[in-house]
Amino acid sequence: MTYKQKARIQRLALLLPGVALYGIFNFMPLLGLLGLSLVRWPGIGPSEYVGLGNFMQLLGEPYYRDQFFNALFQNVYFFVIIIGAMLILGTGLALLLSFRTWGRNTYRAIFFIPYPLAGAAVAFLLNMMVETRGPINTLLVKGLGVMDAPIGFLGEPDLALSTLAVFYSWHRLSFAIILIMSAIIAVRVHLLEAAMLDGANRWQTLRAVVFPVLGPAFILITVIVMVDVFNNADYTLLLMGPEAGPLRNTDIMGTFLFRTSFGGSATSVNINFGMAAAIGLITALLILPAALYLSLKNLRKD
Amino acid sequence: MDKLFRLSRTEQLVVQFILIAWAIVVLFPIGVAVINSFKPNLGEVYRGPLNLPSEWSFGNYVEAWVGANFGKYFLNSVIISGCTVVIVTLCASTTAFVLVRMPFRGSAIIFGCFMLGVIIPIRLALAPLFVTVNTLGLLDTLTGVILVQSASMMPVAVFIMTAFLRSVPSELEDAARMDGALPFSIYWRVVLPLIRPAIATVALLTFVQSWNEYFLPLIFLQSPENYPITLGIAEFRSQFAVQWHLMFAGILIMLIPTIIAFVLASRQFIEGLTQGGVKE
Repeated sequence: MTYKQKARIQRLALLLPGVALYGIFNFMPLLGLLGLSLVRWPGIGPSEYVGLGNFMQLLGEPYYRDQFFNALFQNVYFFVIIIGAMLILGTGLALLLSFRTWGRNTYRAIFFIPYPLAGAAVAFLLNMMVETRGPINTLLVKGLGVMDAPIGFLGEPDLALSTLAVFYSWHRLSFAIILIMSAIIAVRVHLLEAAMLDGANRWQTLRAVVFPVLGPAFILITVIVMVDVFNNADYTLLLMGPEAGPLRNTDIMGTFLFRTSFGGSATSVNINFGMAAAIGLITALLILPAALYLSLKNLRKD
Repeated sequence: MDKLFRLSRTEQLVVQFILIAWAIVVLFPIGVAVINSFKPNLGEVYRGPLNLPSEWSFGNYVEAWVGANFGKYFLNSVIISGCTVVIVTLCASTTAFVLVRMPFRGSAIIFGCFMLGVIIPIRLALAPLFVTVNTLGLLDTLTGVILVQSASMMPVAVFIMTAFLRSVPSELEDAARMDGALPFSIYWRVVLPLIRPAIATVALLTFVQSWNEYFLPLIFLQSPENYPITLGIAEFRSQFAVQWHLMFAGILIMLIPTIIAFVLASRQFIEGLTQGGVKE
């Protein structure tokens, strides 16, 4: 064998494992969404071709339509609370940390603690904090005496989803802080100096020089959080179960998708893998513009 | 510049006040968990969740570890995330090496396919993925979960590695090729040492992600003896939900490895966060 032939075989051997792994367990299933969304199939036994029937059912039949729009709107609400908290608190804290603050490295390390923790642990930990007999209610009722009765944060239909959004923000805020801080640090020093020399005060300098460069960081955070909250429903699944109680008030796309594939409880009858694929496909289309934007930006960077 | 970021005494106090407030928000749940996990009985947790324990006992940790099968769950998590880290770092680095340094007709398409995985989260393809795993007979096996979790990390890993490899010059590899080295030995002797920083970033991201993964094992594992610790803690909670002192101990056992990983490599962690932040 010549060197060239050997090199070619070895190249193939180096490429194959990664491509096969990704292809079988990630890429093909993603493409499979297209085909599977056209059949009705409870996961075992024969499947029935229904064309666009699943999509029609999803948007037309009240049973599915109500769940779909409920999950979609609640997902948007969930997203808005989280992104609001991340951008406002994240920018504020990142700014404070970029001043010559005493102990800023310690603060930064402390603020970062929640980020690498497992979602399952954070969900249960924070859930115990807000239980009616938990520390926060104890503090509010007995300690400070500002409340007469404990608040059932996750039991109240009006409060449950917002509480989950607060959990998410507690867990992920440092991600926003880090990205915004690196944007602030990247502001060119001579621009700041020029602004100060021109007699701009601190607020004017921040507004004219620092805030404009935060735009890309804001977009990055928004897109990443959006992609995540529209496919990941771990908090709801862990704390509220697939039925997303109370009364489906914490239902978001991820739980709806899970319920359609595997049922909410042992007695579920409406399991349809084709419908699950249709929901997955629609959700993918909803987040695609944002995700595409992000990846194009990433690709341009190198 | 200096004037902008220097604070007067009053300003410093205000800033300190706000930062301390947020630090309390962050530390409060963790502190409560630590205090209560050392309490000898449940009554003390309920009577005063914010009080220190009357006597510090390690009993809850022992009970969670032994009595609630945490040892087994922990071992499964170690196996799953260990194998996932090895598979992802190896496969992603070889793939990136070929795609960047030995492009061929169609390699851009392969790269594009990987980027599709960066864009669309695999969870949305839950149903087809389930069919694949089921067809291959890998349902309820650790192998199945390891392969699925590895594949889900591949796009970001390939992305980070290709970006890194493009930024380093190929002179060493060219020299090795001149000397007649074949791709295997170039990869092993030249490229692997060269891309060590990217490997560290990918390994850390993959470890934390697979250690923390709840959803994929939930879908693909059924028998409790295969559960990783994320499913284990949910199982544990269904039995001991009211036994808060045990719950706190169990949660802390689960957090320790990721906290150690983070303390050991916080720099890589933050780098990985800003580079590969496409999937968290």
